[in-house]
Amino acid sequence: MPAAARTYWLTSPCRIRRKDESLIIERDNADNVHIPVTDVRDIVACAETDLNTAVVSLLNRHRINVHLLSYYGDYAGSLLTSDTSTSGETVLAQARAAQDPQAGLAIARSIVDACAFNVRRVVDRKLLTRPYAVLQASVKTSTNQAQLMGAEGTFRRSAWEVMDTKLPDWLQLAGRSRRPPKNVGNAFISYVNGITYARVLTAVRLTPLHSGIAFLHGTMERQRHSLVLDLSEMFKPLMAERLLLRMSRRNQLKEHHFDRDTNQAMLSDAGRKLVVQTVRDEFAVTVAHRSLNRNVAYDELLYLEALALTRHCLEGTTYKPFRIWW
Amino acid sequence: MIGPDDVGGVHIKYLYHCRRQLWLYLRGIRPEHLSATVQLGEAVHDTSYTRNTPVDLGAAKLDFIDGQHWVHEVKSSTRTTPADQAQGRHYCHRLYLVGIDAQGTVLHYPKTRRTQRHPYTPEAADQALADIADVLAVATASTSPDRLTRTACRGCSFTDYCWTE
Repeated sequence: MPAAARTYWLTSPCRIRRKDESLIIERDNADNVHIPVTDVRDIVACAETDLNTAVVSLLNRHRINVHLLSYYGDYAGSLLTSDTSTSGETVLAQARAAQDPQAGLAIARSIVDACAFNVRRVVDRKLLTRPYAVLQASVKTSTNQAQLMGAEGTFRRSAWEVMDTKLPDWLQLAGRSRRPPKNVGNAFISYVNGITYARVLTAVRLTPLHSGIAFLHGTMERQRHSLVLDLSEMFKPLMAERLLLRMSRRNQLKEHHFDRDTNQAMLSDAGRKLVVQTVRDEFAVTVAHRSLNRNVAYDELLYLEALALTRHCLEGTTYKPFRIWW
Repeated sequence: MIGPDDVGGVHIKYLYHCRRQLWLYLRGIRPEHLSATVQLGEAVHDTSYTRNTPVDLGAAKLDFIDGQHWVHEVKSSTRTTPADQAQGRHYCHRLYLVGIDAQGTVLHYPKTRRTQRHPYTPEAADQALADIADVLAVATASTSPDRLTRTACRGCSFTDYCWTE
């Protein structure tokens, strides 16, 4: 990934305009911000955003994606640049791997295993020892994607229960609920998952892979980028669960960070700003990478993960999905 | 996949630098635009010798050619490599194909303010043909060539791809 470029997070309503070869962010009750376009890797718009053709053509030239999160905080869609990075040969190899029941299932299995490993790592290693063993056993015996998803669901349920024991009453999840999230804990997790999904999409679009051909989730299912769903699986615990536990332990989350209705909850404007800031800073945290011999940001891990999968498809190297190693 | 006419300067450069890089490049792995080093190279290219116009030979594109038919190439590194030389040789070959008697290559290293001259001799012409055959051989290989040693990969824009586990 480009060393200098960074992600821009728009947290207040604004209009993006083009001024020559750079961008201006116009905000209602604040000054305009000028941004050199070479500094932008992608944009995550968490609030109402206007833009026009002139901006889109500039963004396209610099391969910048814009991800839009809706008013309710779920992922609303992306403005993607034209597909210049995909390579025919890689996509064919990817499709062959996805169609081959053996090869495709092997990848799906390792993804489920790695995801559970990461959940266990961030939630509680000791209490989740047995559920993880159960999951590993059922991953071995499962023969199709649906069974794998089921096994993951079972493991996830025990993980949510363990999480609840570590959260204060008002933040507890009481089971995962989505669209809309029923309580504040779920609202937090949904929001962070949406951001993670968007960031993985950016990473996949920088590699030659096709974002629609998946191994665990049904290919092209629900008109979503299924591969992105697959890859973001491993990173969701790293961001969502971990940050929720951390922020509740530090008493950073307060009642006024959420808007609650009878049967649904969402982040308030203040909460959204806090969460976006935290997530942004978390993506910039670096760890020492063992084979690259340098520090990489969490952000870059997403990209490296997509590259590892590319190598697996194109060259047949073994694919070991991301596990938290630190 | 590609024919002798499609071989460009980049192919020859990668052939000398790393065959694996060439193999991947031919299969559409193009991480260059993400590399800061490549961006620097492009900036050097854009800001050096701006009065001269590049010559487009189809697959290959050379920096400029002077009145005595010397091919000029601007390099952003400080060190001379066989790859630079081979690239220039390839351009001379391409010029011969379109009927221009190229004298040879002048390699410019603006960072150190050095230039190097390599006349285009009959031996060089043979070598240029051999290089093209080599590129085509790599292109048709069904498996990827091995990685270089870890240290040899320093600064390459494919490092992330090749060395992530």
